[in-house]
Amino acid sequence: MAYHSGYGAHGSKHRARTAPDPPPLFDDTSGGYSSQPGGYPAPGADVAFNVNHLLGDPMANVAMAYGSSIASHGKDMVHKELHRFVSVNKLKYFFAVDTAYVAKKLGLLVFPYTHQNWEVQYSRDAPLPPRRDLNAPDLYIPTMAFITYVLLAGIALGIQKRFSPEVLGLCASTALVWVVMEVLALLLGIYLATVRSDLSTFHLLAYSGYKYVGMILSVLTGLLFGSDGYYVALAWTSSALMYFLVRSLRTAALGPDSMGGSAPRQRLQLYLTLGAAAFQPLIIYWLTFHLVR
Amino acid sequence: MAFTLYSLLQAALLCVNAIAVLHEERFLKNIGWGTDQGIGGFGEEPGIKSQLTNLIRSVRTVMRGKKKNEWNTLKF
Repeated sequence: MAYHSGYGAHGSKHRARTAPDPPPLFDDTSGGYSSQPGGYPAPGADVAFNVNHLLGDPMANVAMAYGSSIASHGKDMVHKELHRFVSVNKLKYFFAVDTAYVAKKLGLLVFPYTHQNWEVQYSRDAPLPPRRDLNAPDLYIPTMAFITYVLLAGIALGIQKRFSPEVLGLCASTALVWVVMEVLALLLGIYLATVRSDLSTFHLLAYSGYKYVGMILSVLTGLLFGSDGYYVALAWTSSALMYFLVRSLRTAALGPDSMGGSAPRQRLQLYLTLGAAAFQPLIIYWLTFHLVR
Repeated sequence: MAFTLYSLLQAALLCVNAIAVLHEERFLKNIGWGTDQGIGGFGEEPGIKSQLTNLIRSVRTVMRGKKKNEWNTLKF
């Protein structure tokens, strides 16, 4: 009775000794759980059996359907709340770019002195998307430049053997916080000076984000050519960015109906633009000098 | 200075609170920034000072929430 068919291995060996049957290649575990002393295949059969039991259960089906409907309802709610705060169509306008625009815009950010026409073009009261108008601001370049800056900061710190993953996150959030503070300060300035323009928050975010390109170039030059190269690149990109900002904001702040506002208000506008432009080199220096020693 | 997003949130909250606690009667009237002083005409130019007083009053209104009379009759 002990050497029954339950003990497959022993049974086969036992049979092989007495009769010339070829021993089975695999142990027969389809019968019971208590046969195998090692017990390795048995729990696998256990789990498979339980999962099959779960999927075939109608209660589990109902629970899964309920869960998926809850998830889709939650997704709809998130979309609705998001649409209340952020207009997705307006955001899409800023990302409608193509390669030629990005290349020309980057060239303009580095060398804006020969560009003649700084006006944003309109078609039937709606501004043209960046694909068709070089002067339109976009959010693609600032976003990509921000990510590149964070990666470059990691590389720079790694070269100086000062890298750790927390520093990367700190660098990213510091740069982001400075841009957010600058946008808030600009919004406050625009509100106080009652500048009538169609500069929305995203426009300001775009114009503030262009400084990341200057930061990347400065850090790259600093890594390649040392401290002197860093200061030269800092001076060049700062002056280019200041010129670019002053020319762009002068025409953008006036909007489609220009010549609005009296002399004090236009003076306030000018001070605001100059202040925003003068802030750029300071913040570029502040965010990059610790990367280039 | 290394900022985190949480420190930005803290700073914003503290600034808004600072604007909201400027007392109308004890403080702003003595400076001349009260809401009923110098509203000015309905001309084209609000000017910076009236914009600032409007901003302070709006922040105070938004942060206060319910009207002053209703604080005693809050129903839960």
